[in-house]
Amino acid sequence: MNVLLALSLNLVMGYTGQLNLGQSAFFGIGAYVSTILVKTYHWNFWLASLAAVAFAGVVGLALAAFAVRLRGHYLAIASLGFAVITYQVLVNWEKVTEGVRGIYGILPPVGSTVGLFYLIAGIGVLVYWLMDNLVRSPVGDTLRAIREDEVSAASLGVRSYVWKAFAFSIGAGVAALAGIFYPGFVGTLVPDAFNIIESFTMLAMVIVGGMGTMIGPVVGAVVLTFLPELLRGFGELRLMIYGIALTLVVLFMPGGIVQLVKRK
Amino acid sequence: MSDVAVLVVQQTVNGVYLGCLYVMVALGLTLIYGVLNQINFAHADFVTVGAFAAFFTVTRFATKALGLPDAGGYLASLVVALGVGALLGLAINAAVFAPLRERGDELRPLIATIGVSVLLENAQLALFGPIPYQFDSPFSQHTFRLGRIFFTGQSVLVIVVSALSIGALYAFMRFSFWGKALRAVAQDRETAGLMGINPGLLIGLTIVIASALAGMAGALLGPVLVLTPFAGASVVVKAFAIVIIGGFGNMQGTIIAGILVGVIEAFTVQYFGAGLIDLVVFVLLLAMLVVRPTGIIAERKEENV
Amino acid sequence: MLSANNISKSFGGVRAVRNVSLSVPEKSVCALIGPNGAGKSTMLNLLSGVYQPDAGTLSFAGTELAGLPAYARVRLGIARTFQKIRLFKQLSLLENVMAGFHIHQDTPFWKYLVVGDTGRFREEARELLDFVGLGARAGDRAGALPYGQQRMLEIARALATRPKLFMLDEPAAGLNPAEVEFLLQRLVDIAKRGTTLLVVEHNMDLVMNVAERVFVLDHGEPLFEGTPREVQANGRVIEAYLGGEFAA
Repeated sequence: MNVLLALSLNLVMGYTGQLNLGQSAFFGIGAYVSTILVKTYHWNFWLASLAAVAFAGVVGLALAAFAVRLRGHYLAIASLGFAVITYQVLVNWEKVTEGVRGIYGILPPVGSTVGLFYLIAGIGVLVYWLMDNLVRSPVGDTLRAIREDEVSAASLGVRSYVWKAFAFSIGAGVAALAGIFYPGFVGTLVPDAFNIIESFTMLAMVIVGGMGTMIGPVVGAVVLTFLPELLRGFGELRLMIYGIALTLVVLFMPGGIVQLVKRK
Repeated sequence: MSDVAVLVVQQTVNGVYLGCLYVMVALGLTLIYGVLNQINFAHADFVTVGAFAAFFTVTRFATKALGLPDAGGYLASLVVALGVGALLGLAINAAVFAPLRERGDELRPLIATIGVSVLLENAQLALFGPIPYQFDSPFSQHTFRLGRIFFTGQSVLVIVVSALSIGALYAFMRFSFWGKALRAVAQDRETAGLMGINPGLLIGLTIVIASALAGMAGALLGPVLVLTPFAGASVVVKAFAIVIIGGFGNMQGTIIAGILVGVIEAFTVQYFGAGLIDLVVFVLLLAMLVVRPTGIIAERKEENV
Repeated sequence: MLSANNISKSFGGVRAVRNVSLSVPEKSVCALIGPNGAGKSTMLNLLSGVYQPDAGTLSFAGTELAGLPAYARVRLGIARTFQKIRLFKQLSLLENVMAGFHIHQDTPFWKYLVVGDTGRFREEARELLDFVGLGARAGDRAGALPYGQQRMLEIARALATRPKLFMLDEPAAGLNPAEVEFLLQRLVDIAKRGTTLLVVEHNMDLVMNVAERVFVLDHGEPLFEGTPREVQANGRVIEAYLGGEFAA
């Protein structure tokens, strides 16, 4: 699941150079929309999932529609704002989301947690494969061109805001896809799981692994998911380690783990 | 005056008080953006560290060890927080901004400061724990009346201190050699370098000033905040909004927007409840981005090709 | 083919271009010259859509251009290079040129999800790299190229859009004499294939060798228009250049 999240952010950030801090919000939208549709409206899980992903994609597109006109910092802050608003809605709209009390007793969509694990792994592989194809195709060339230089991309006929919105929206959809399976995994749903910290964690995964490569975020997600397990005794230090890793990697290893391995 | 009018004026006063605090935080962000084109995400944590520094100065040090009176202790804590903020600024410049500046990438320094922010927050969490600290300003006890409008000593102090710092900063930017040099660096780093200005030194100075402001803002905010390691974050998120609403790198815009947001917040609390503050501020922010992404005081820049 | 009528543009009160009209006939080679600060680059940015004019009309092959953004003008067949080279520096030479084929990609994106890279246009991209003498370095990072070769890569990338009108902003600036000679040959080749050229240039040798028609700007205003020979013989042009140099 973390792999999915890291992949979703990587498409937006690594390939089009947009810093999106709103991924935690899309993750949350996926989780909440699908769960509420299933629990309150008794939708079929798969139908609800489809609706949740589509919803996140559309919201992502709407946000992107104006966010993409902004570069770098503006987008980072607009997306941060979006994450804050979403979090506040989750907390305050108690009638629908149960607020901070959370939703309990959510069953996994397939028989067991183990089954769910394999399902998520399968989806992860599928998404990886699809995205890998996409970034190696001419669409990937276009996205990378936008990341490098928008003015000169425009001189080649690239409508950069359409493509940025496209990447943004797909990223939102994939984050929502990960969100759908989250509640089934942990059994409960509280707004705190979709705090802005979650966006920073995703960011750390992408950066530590290697931004703008396909395998990088996967490596980053795996490392940063298992590392804290190993360091369990450190408790609160887990996030501190994320912070240190993030800063040090940016300073000394701009290509992330992947580049380090390649060089050897 | 009718009751409604009194309420409106009272809330406006409260709003200006809050707004001044936000301006102090937001000005630092906008200063750094102005010369460096960078955002310091760890700015929030400088505010928190400043607040903690003030807390310990007041409770452990000034009154107990030095035997200062309460008021003196609090004023001393402002100075301590200012210094701590400046030190943090020095550190982040040396660790992050200076080494990354030459690479000319706009994303990486931003991400590195997010890392620093996560690090600082959790280091404080490890040191101070998640339980909020109580921290009172001796000035909150005193209230003044002007007609039917109430002021607390603290709000007067905040408004005076922030007006003084903003005024000093403004005079510094406008009239001193350093300020002029800073503006030259903001305009064109390379050319300024050729004129014998050391951009590295000036950028460092800006970051130190900005961070010192953040630290002092922390000390002033301390009594208002629920002081936890994440306290600054909630303020800085608003400061970001203010910087955008005011227009990035634009000092006047930031000041106006800061006070505006403070006032809006005061009225939101009055009429809709405290839970909706972030929502209202951010809806305003998003609306602003749609309507006028350059900020209230527009500054048109066309990219030089 | 391209015609501009009474174009004006100012930046914050400074008039960069005032009442400039020019017309570039189809399959011709034209040059736009003038001393530093004459408004040549601004004019090119107006023609390519990086800036929009404050006043005046622009048309290309019967289509009104004013108001059309840069990316839309590329689809009409207008390509350009930049005065300060703007490559995708972190990408390979081949990727740079491949990005140039953007407007000719017509496969819907979901097909790429399944099939990945189709290899379409790859051959053509390699041919373009060969054409500018960079075929052997296709896999290198664009930012690692020496200056002169970066210019040639930028030309190859722009050609990938298959332009009808190709505008170059000071292509010879910073090149050594051998590189200028090579550039000259390539420009002649491009013109022979039927592409219309408009070159903004400082290098008089280059202008005199390729251009059929020369427009001279000075202080944002049109100064003279004629054949290279007429321009060389014109007293006002010489004066503008000399004056410009003394002033500088």
